[in-house]
Amino acid sequence: MLTYVVKRLLVAVPTLLAVLTVVFFFVRIAPGDPAFIILGDQASPQALAALRHELGLDQPMIAQYADFMTMVLSGDLGSSLVTHQSVWGEVAKVLPYTIELTIAALAIGTVLGLPLGVVAARRRNETIDYVARFLSLLGLSFPAFVSAILLLLAFAIELRWFPVISEARANDPMSRLSALVLPALNLGLIMVAYVMRVARSSMLGVLGEDYIRTARSKGVPARMVIWRHALRNALIPVVTVVGLYLGVLIGNSVLTEIVFNRPGLGKLIVNSLNQRDYTTLEGLMVIYAFFIVIANLLTDLAYGLVDPRVKRQ
Amino acid sequence: MKRIGLMAACVWTGAALLAASAPARAEKVLNVGMAAADLGSLDPHRTATTPDKAIIGWMFNGLVRFKPGTMNPESIEPDLAESWDATEDQLNWTFHLRKGVQCNNGYGELTSDDVVFSLKRASDPKVSSFSSDFADVASIEASDPYTVQIKLKQRPPSLLGILTNYQGGNIVCKKAVEKLGDDFRAKAVGTGPFAFSEYTPNQSVVLVANKNYFRGAPKIDKIVYRYIPSDATRDLAYTSGEIDLIYGRQDQTWAERMKSDPHTIVDVFGPGELSNINLNITKKPLDDIRVRKAIAYAVNRAELVKFKGELTARAAVSIIPHDYLGTDEQAPLYPYDPEKAKALLAEAGFANGLTIESIQTSLPPMLNTMQIVQAELKKVGINLQLNVVDHPTFHAQIRKDLSAVVMYSAARLPVADIYLTQFFHSRSIVGTPTAVTNFSHCDMADKEIDAARLATDPAKQKELWKKAQEILIEQVCAVPLYEQLQVWARRDTLDYGYKLYASLTLGPIINEQSTLK
Repeated sequence: MLTYVVKRLLVAVPTLLAVLTVVFFFVRIAPGDPAFIILGDQASPQALAALRHELGLDQPMIAQYADFMTMVLSGDLGSSLVTHQSVWGEVAKVLPYTIELTIAALAIGTVLGLPLGVVAARRRNETIDYVARFLSLLGLSFPAFVSAILLLLAFAIELRWFPVISEARANDPMSRLSALVLPALNLGLIMVAYVMRVARSSMLGVLGEDYIRTARSKGVPARMVIWRHALRNALIPVVTVVGLYLGVLIGNSVLTEIVFNRPGLGKLIVNSLNQRDYTTLEGLMVIYAFFIVIANLLTDLAYGLVDPRVKRQ
Repeated sequence: MKRIGLMAACVWTGAALLAASAPARAEKVLNVGMAAADLGSLDPHRTATTPDKAIIGWMFNGLVRFKPGTMNPESIEPDLAESWDATEDQLNWTFHLRKGVQCNNGYGELTSDDVVFSLKRASDPKVSSFSSDFADVASIEASDPYTVQIKLKQRPPSLLGILTNYQGGNIVCKKAVEKLGDDFRAKAVGTGPFAFSEYTPNQSVVLVANKNYFRGAPKIDKIVYRYIPSDATRDLAYTSGEIDLIYGRQDQTWAERMKSDPHTIVDVFGPGELSNINLNITKKPLDDIRVRKAIAYAVNRAELVKFKGELTARAAVSIIPHDYLGTDEQAPLYPYDPEKAKALLAEAGFANGLTIESIQTSLPPMLNTMQIVQAELKKVGINLQLNVVDHPTFHAQIRKDLSAVVMYSAARLPVADIYLTQFFHSRSIVGTPTAVTNFSHCDMADKEIDAARLATDPAKQKELWKKAQEILIEQVCAVPLYEQLQVWARRDTLDYGYKLYASLTLGPIINEQSTLK
């Protein structure tokens, strides 16, 4: 398995370089001048020209690309056009927050969604099934920022269980945890909706299979049929959805990050876009692409855990 | 006698002990909520965004300052300079500095070295966004530790105006700039009532009171400036009591909602950012003055102010903002007259209507104004096409002269010359080496603007400025719309210590007079 993982990671490298190239050119082709944004509309043309020269923006595109690729291939992601801080440094500061939010949301989504989907499939067309399906529709239809504001209204204003602005201090695990609850709930509940639906329909498909009928006729207790035989087969589409969603979550958490005032990768990407901070954008895109690669790799490995046939290949 | 003396001594001792054991005054912390994702730059010579400008106003001084709460150039008073004198021709100025002013964060006494360094830095285009303000300065020298000599090449619109605690006039401490280098951006050091203490990226900047401030120790101990980009979250944080001073929305509904709370005070103050629709007189069909006049007659200013909300907006009075030194408050603007507009269009040969293309920003307050203008123009047969792009793209493209119609919203130092020069002098035409923001390509008032700058008699100067505005309005270089005022709200426990009419930093000034109950 180690060779499998290593092979996959090696194959990812050209992908990442390709992403970097595409992002580099697209971002610079878009109109908008970083020097103007940094200096404001009262800056003189000389000041703008001086800054553009300092940032290397007055060089021909190909020269800028060559400089940039040399830097990246030596392991340096460069520094932000706006803050002059190292791009990797800025990303490293917000990465823990994004990772913990993603994992927490994923955990809530799977731990709540899976059993809900199984129960809904078991008790198909009974009350609990309708309730679950209705709630899942609600979860799918709510935009993340609306549900975020509702959570704030309920838990911060009415119940006062949390402050509106949670300051997640890097060295204080308790504050990190308390600042994580509402945002994770927000993203997690939306994920519950997805997971529940997929689990339910997948379960329903599996429950109709021959081997389930055989197990039942053999007298295997109902509990064992569901959780031991049916679930493992039903899990495969669920793993696919969770794996896909993992990639989506890292970038799409931006609305949640904005409403809850949390640092995060998504927010960093949006801010860099608005400021035309080319170097930070490029660095972020590479890191984001890298995470998608990792997420896909983990998903594939998870298949191996769930489905023994995959492992044997 | 002795007994009374003994009793008095006991009472006195008892009182002293009581005073000593009384708890220390609780720390006064002001929490401020700002609509920004993060700090841009605390370097006053660099920063151009509203969120940063507001906090800079609490950290720095200039040689002179606007009286807190005003932006009237006629109310400029001493700040770091106690007094100043100038030669007859107003080309040589001498500033006498206050003694004993301390730089914050332990950087020692402020001397003329710091002032010279700071002003030179502010005039350097490699470091400063405001270097063009100092274009007329020939030299800046320290003749002794507390005296600064400034020599000018020619008279700028207002030397004192450039030397106020605004933009390039903010004085930074030399040793701090040299020591901190790039870090100065996040840890700037000045002489103001509040000093930098801590910065948590994406979360907040903390300032502490400068107990040695030369006007007296501030009564507020700490300010926590929180970055909360989401409007809804900021409002909720105010409701829950987590912030006491909130950057508002330039929006009638918001102002009304906040006002309805008995413990909230809404501050609406200047500068008003004036929205002008600049018309490029070199592009067909706008090169025909009848078409431009038609546009001016077709726009209904009153309707726009009503839409924006009378609490936070007011109609334009001229092509430069109201209340600047030199503004013609009764300028002859074209009234709303759609019939006249249609007649003029017919005369110009567009009886069947015409189409004009323009580039417009997606920024909601500017976009929705232009959508109303579009509807008003449609009523007289003008089809204004809005090609909507995002804000940075908009700014880049209009400066490349790609749009015949440019709706621009701005406030500047409140002296008529600056606005007139930047928007309506031929020197500033976009696409030229000395370009600023003249999108209309107008040059008809160049003579008056240049003469006003050199005028030594204030009355003559005002007259020349009045004439310039008259000419530019008559020629319809731009159609003035409305002015959007600044809107903030605070809990009634916060008292600024002065009446807030206007603040060039676009936020209230928190200084040694401000109190928090």
